[in-house]
Amino acid sequence: MTPSSSSLPSLTILQKPAGEDDHHARPLEWGLIRRLFGYTKPLAGKRNWLIFFTLSRALQLPMLAWLVGVIISGPITRGDHHALMIAVSGYALLGFLTEATFHFRQRFAQELGETVVNRLRNDIFACLQRQPMGFFHRTKLGRIIGRMTSDVEALRAGIQDVLFVSIVQLGQMAVAAVLMAWTDWVMFMVIVCMAPILWALNRYFRVRLSHYSRITQESFSRITANLAESVNGIRVTQGFVREDVNAGLFRSLIADHARYNISLARTSAVLVPLLELNTQFFISALLMLGGWRTFGGHMELGDLITFFFLTNLFFNPIQALANQYNHALVSMAGAERVFRLIDLKPEWSDADDAMELPDPRTEAGTAAAEGLHIEFRDVNFSYVAGTPVLKRVSFEARPGQTVALVGHTGSGKSSILNLVSKFYLPDSGLVLLDGRDLMATTSGSLHRQMGMVMQQNFLFTGTVFENIRLAKPEATEEDVRAAARSLDCLDMIDALPNGLHTEVGEHGGGLSLGQRQLVCFTRAMLSDPRLVILDEATSSIDALTEERLQTALKLLLKGRTSLVVAHRLSTIRHADLVLVLDQGEVMERGTHEELLALGGHYADLHAQFVQTSSEG
Amino acid sequence: MEDPPPTTAAAAPISNWGLIRRLFGLAWRYRRQCLQVLILQLILLTLGLSGLSLTGLGIDYIRHVVVPGLPLPAMRFLPNLPADGEPLLVLLAIAGGILGFAILRAFLNYAYTLSINILVQRHLVVDLRGEVYDKLQRLSFRFFDANSTGSIITRVTGDVQAVRMFVDQVLIQCVIMVISLTIYIIFMASLSPSLTIACLATTPVLAIMSAVFSKRIQPRYAQSRKLIDRMVQHFAESVQGMQVTKAFGREAEDRAAFEAKNEAVLVQQQGIFWRVSFFSPSVGLLTRINIVILLGFGGLQVMRGELALGTGLLIFAGLLEQFSGQVNQVATLVNSVQQSLIGARRVFEILDAPIEIQSGESAQRRSGLKGRVTFEAVSFAHADVPVVRDVNLDVPAGTCVAILGATGAGKSTLMSLIPRFFDPQQGRVLIDGIDIRELHLDDLRHGIGLVFQESFLFSNTVAANIAFGHPDATREQVEKAARIAAAHDFIMALPQGYDTVLGEGGNSLSGGQRQRLALARAILLEPAILLLDDPTAAIDAQTEQEIFTALDNAIAGRTTFIVAHRVSTLRRADLILVMENGRIVQSGTHAELMRAPGAYRRVASLQLLDGRELTADITETGGAA
Repeated sequence: MTPSSSSLPSLTILQKPAGEDDHHARPLEWGLIRRLFGYTKPLAGKRNWLIFFTLSRALQLPMLAWLVGVIISGPITRGDHHALMIAVSGYALLGFLTEATFHFRQRFAQELGETVVNRLRNDIFACLQRQPMGFFHRTKLGRIIGRMTSDVEALRAGIQDVLFVSIVQLGQMAVAAVLMAWTDWVMFMVIVCMAPILWALNRYFRVRLSHYSRITQESFSRITANLAESVNGIRVTQGFVREDVNAGLFRSLIADHARYNISLARTSAVLVPLLELNTQFFISALLMLGGWRTFGGHMELGDLITFFFLTNLFFNPIQALANQYNHALVSMAGAERVFRLIDLKPEWSDADDAMELPDPRTEAGTAAAEGLHIEFRDVNFSYVAGTPVLKRVSFEARPGQTVALVGHTGSGKSSILNLVSKFYLPDSGLVLLDGRDLMATTSGSLHRQMGMVMQQNFLFTGTVFENIRLAKPEATEEDVRAAARSLDCLDMIDALPNGLHTEVGEHGGGLSLGQRQLVCFTRAMLSDPRLVILDEATSSIDALTEERLQTALKLLLKGRTSLVVAHRLSTIRHADLVLVLDQGEVMERGTHEELLALGGHYADLHAQFVQTSSEG
Repeated sequence: MEDPPPTTAAAAPISNWGLIRRLFGLAWRYRRQCLQVLILQLILLTLGLSGLSLTGLGIDYIRHVVVPGLPLPAMRFLPNLPADGEPLLVLLAIAGGILGFAILRAFLNYAYTLSINILVQRHLVVDLRGEVYDKLQRLSFRFFDANSTGSIITRVTGDVQAVRMFVDQVLIQCVIMVISLTIYIIFMASLSPSLTIACLATTPVLAIMSAVFSKRIQPRYAQSRKLIDRMVQHFAESVQGMQVTKAFGREAEDRAAFEAKNEAVLVQQQGIFWRVSFFSPSVGLLTRINIVILLGFGGLQVMRGELALGTGLLIFAGLLEQFSGQVNQVATLVNSVQQSLIGARRVFEILDAPIEIQSGESAQRRSGLKGRVTFEAVSFAHADVPVVRDVNLDVPAGTCVAILGATGAGKSTLMSLIPRFFDPQQGRVLIDGIDIRELHLDDLRHGIGLVFQESFLFSNTVAANIAFGHPDATREQVEKAARIAAAHDFIMALPQGYDTVLGEGGNSLSGGQRQRLALARAILLEPAILLLDDPTAAIDAQTEQEIFTALDNAIAGRTTFIVAHRVSTLRRADLILVMENGRIVQSGTHAELMRAPGAYRRVASLQLLDGRELTADITETGGAA
């Protein structure tokens, strides 16, 4: 083992800076609380009962403790058998009632919490679906998932615990206070003076505890990040014989984590005994003061005993309340983030007067126009204001034509696809679909006539069949097979381990790149689109599969209008129109042959292919 | 923890008893610290009981002073009170005693909490995690293929925690529980045996109830976790695949599917809520029954004068409370045992897994390989599926070998036999005429440079990534390697040049840039042998050009194996191998293979003919592959 301390500096970079909106806690806010409360409406009946049970429990608990004190100081000290039996039976009865209340109080609170959480999750989901694609390109997945998991969980604690536990605890304190004041108000005043000290002590340490626990959390996420890299990079590590260096790095990370953990433990190791010491201090003070007053005849022994039972009842809630207060602040931060997401207005949505894009195939007698007609007129577009991505782009794709987009990364090819799919809106200019303005067309009706194959070939967890059927949920197995057959690739799908019913794992794991692409082609085919949007995969696929894919692609595009970001020369060659893009502008346009003859930008690009392949 | 026990090379599963024995062994390693924790706990227990006794004594003393005729209270182990002392002074002494004990307890409590945390956090967890990680890194790739990243991470994080739980939450807690319960019972019995029996009658019920409850509820919690995981997974996928969903206009269906999964969580939870809300009040009720017995039966005893009020009944009440507190922990304990056994199984599985590949005892140390690679009748099977079959090959030093074949033909596997990522079941691989199993593994791998299909870069600086295999390399060496890999220029254009920190997986760079960094990383080692597993796979044709210069520089003078699909790459090689089903079916130069009928000519013609223009025979290959 060689834990080289010299490589330590590289650790710090594994820590990702926390986002500016990731506040751990947030002050109580009435608006947020009221809104959260609004989510309990579907269970209004249970909620009201819950409040009732909570209030009764707040009475029952101190009554029980008081009864114990009274029984000891009363019947037992006096030696009254009969009264003892009655009082003990009373205690038993009240005890039973209290626990029965507890059942409902706990169950209803949990049900309420879960229901609110459930509704919030649905709201978050619905809200996300309303967002245009721009939102997803800007926002990290981890952050969105955080809303759905940790933030919602923080909220649950706030709903099912904070309010109700606080009511019980406060009630307990109040009743205990009244009983104590009634029993002996001088003693009570002494006790009351202690309360703020206890509260302050608690707050101070809670703040420190949560501070340390956050640092500890952070150091732990460094460990998991390092682990994830170690696992994913294992081939590199073994190939480059880095095991010992990595082990050293990892050891220093875990030692670091241990240090924070111990700091955390040290703080709670001070707090817990301090709280206990406080109770003991109290008992000895009570004994002294009570004894003195009893000797002087100002107080009865029975009352002193009652006090012993009531003080705990008065002080224990302070700790619990401090804890709940902390939870409340964390919940507030969670609530704020969740509601901010739910309230997020989509940057844009379909205009109110937008109309459906008519599908001529459904109208009798007009079966002619199969493909969609597309026209871009002077389209300008930018993702970030001030950084234009497309500049005055104009072109036309007549029904059934294939338009290939060619250019370097960042030249604006994908942006054209994003515009024609209405994932983004142009800054200016017109996008016309069958002669109608894109802005006046509903997204849904456009998407129903569109088939899309993206570069990543994203597949959902489930079977191949389910993934293909995504395009048309009502499709039967026979429909899916027919779609594959029409792409001349049914045999390749049948050759999968379980044919159509092969499970695809996370992001299509288990299938090869080529197979994934095939599934995506079939999916697009099944939806029988008038427009095909294709972002060709850059990755090379083994030569024989590649050939099948090219055939399938030709069949898919046949008779449909298509926009293709092309990486394959063969695709470009078959296109009716090639647009050569550079920095958002259409530099050249024409067919492959025309452009080659032109001897311009495209010819240069083409020459690069040539060079690439001739050098060997 | 719900993923099925993954397949490692480890032998038969260990029995529960075997596991427990090993866990005891683990605790034995830390016996000194464990003992310290136990002794502290024992002192704390004694001090607590003394404080409680003093309180009872104080009350009885007040009663003795106020009510005439009552005897002077006395307790075993505590000094006798003076019969004729000034009452207030005596009381002050008792109160002082309580406070004194309490302060002592506070200090010891601090020491206890700290020492148990040091035992766990500084020693146990660090040692275990270090060992597991170290072992993990030396396991065969098979293990990493068979297990998801998440599950492997859990072994080093959660599972290790579960194992250490056995020491501090099962073993130590068990001992503490047995000791304190014994002391409580003895103490209570010394006050009143009959009351003790009456009050403890409910404890077996409580213990059984907790154990049964925890057993019953566990599967429901597991099920709940599964449902929640499923819901969150659906959510994550929906976000990632939002474009697909939107493009096919399937928002409504997707939302319905999500809401169904969300609803399933809600419905399943109801059962858990019911049971939890039944269990906790039941436990509460048992405690109440205890108090009823205490007050009724104990009260009678006080009245009959068999039991003192303060030193008897009140202390008894205090003891009873602590007693049931300990008994309540039985459920936690049972739970911890189960969890730590599950975790232990998964941790030991890694620690016990044999390291398949390591240097032999008599391995030769040899720095500076020449680079002649020989395969002699090599066959290799993955889980009984033959992947490489009877390969014979002799590659002189400095030769460039390209391999072509369909997915699964065995190309990558064949290459991975050279750095001994796997050992063949039959035949042998030689470098410079020496069986590689007789070479020291470090020397062998240091002599080989690797570039994978999609190169993994670490979130570290560019320089550190290039110097990955040789962390002590100077900046000059790093830059030299970068220049050879045609990476120097783009690196200098990065915000901080060589000190630019790469994002996760290097995703701030383009595919071509990543591959050139990977190439630089390999070149820095100045390896005699270079293995390139389809290095241009993830690069688009337009940028492929960037990497070819780099490749040409890198290949010069080294024995190179390169997996490729494009004729443009293949034809660079001195020797082309065509693989089918693990066998080499064709070999020769581009020119030779183009003359012979076979797979190579078919594939090459496909790529070449796609162009239609014969003059541009060279052209097509760039794009059509």
